[in-house]
Amino acid sequence: MIPLSWYLTLSAVLFTLGVVGVITKRNAISMFMCIELMLNAVNLTFVSFSSYFGDVTGQLFVFIVMTVAAAEAAVGLGIIIAIFRNRETLDVDDASILKL
Amino acid sequence: MILSGWESFFFWVFAFSAVIAALLTVMASNAVHSALFLISTLVSVAALFVLLGAEFIAGVQVLVYVGGVMVLFLFVIMLVNVGTEERGGGEELYNRPAQVGASLFFCVLLFVGLISAVNLSSAHFRAQPTTPGQSIEQMSAEQALVRETEQGMVASATGTSKISSDTERVGASLYRYGGLPFEIASVLLLVAIVGSVLLARTAKQEAAADDLAPETRAELSGDEALGIK
Repeated sequence: MIPLSWYLTLSAVLFTLGVVGVITKRNAISMFMCIELMLNAVNLTFVSFSSYFGDVTGQLFVFIVMTVAAAEAAVGLGIIIAIFRNRETLDVDDASILKL
Repeated sequence: MILSGWESFFFWVFAFSAVIAALLTVMASNAVHSALFLISTLVSVAALFVLLGAEFIAGVQVLVYVGGVMVLFLFVIMLVNVGTEERGGGEELYNRPAQVGASLFFCVLLFVGLISAVNLSSAHFRAQPTTPGQSIEQMSAEQALVRETEQGMVASATGTSKISSDTERVGASLYRYGGLPFEIASVLLLVAIVGSVLLARTAKQEAAADDLAPETRAELSGDEALGIK
């Protein structure tokens, strides 16, 4: 049996990679993919706790998280397409119309 | 701690491939490469879900994430293919000390968190044996009776082999305890479909649906009169 802490470590590493990607990337689509990576790391945490405590409730949470991730991706990519139509770029530094 | 056996072998293989693919996702400058590496990360994590005994979640991960969300990503990259390359690249990262500083801060946070988490978890979280009969004392007597009867039968007679018992448990508790969240999730998906269709419309489609602000309509018709025709 693999210790729970190994799965948690892997999940933390994946989550941090996602955070670093969101911070350093400037392409909006790449940032979205890093957000998916973070959501997936959290799902791994949920499933490992659910498996180690012998309770399937964690897997229900994962199901809901996946639904929210799919909805977020659909709406976010719609917004990205709308921004691209207006500005002809995906660089998030250029989408600063709300900035004071 | 050194583990031996097939389980730890597969854990190492999939954990390494997940971490390396995630690293390449973050480092790739082309968005298509990034998406392909993210797909391999997701498949590796799905394999880890199978190792953890969550076959249903693993299947949903492959179907929904890899088959749905990532294909959507690739389609959008195809639609907006101008500017998929990050401008600059590696050397320009040094010109952005704020981003690099924040990334380093998160890495240090991860390191400290990992040290304390591993110390804590070795003391508190004992792995429970997850044989099929381990949760019998938590079940009611009736369920335990059913489980005992099923265990006495041959695998094909129960209609559920060992590998699908997780799916059965997730489905049962999804409809028993998670009915309201399930319905909310379906409404959320409907709202997301309508919202993304509304957001991604072109001006021409908005005009066809008679859904424009008056000044925008005047501007559009002016453009058409001057420029195109």
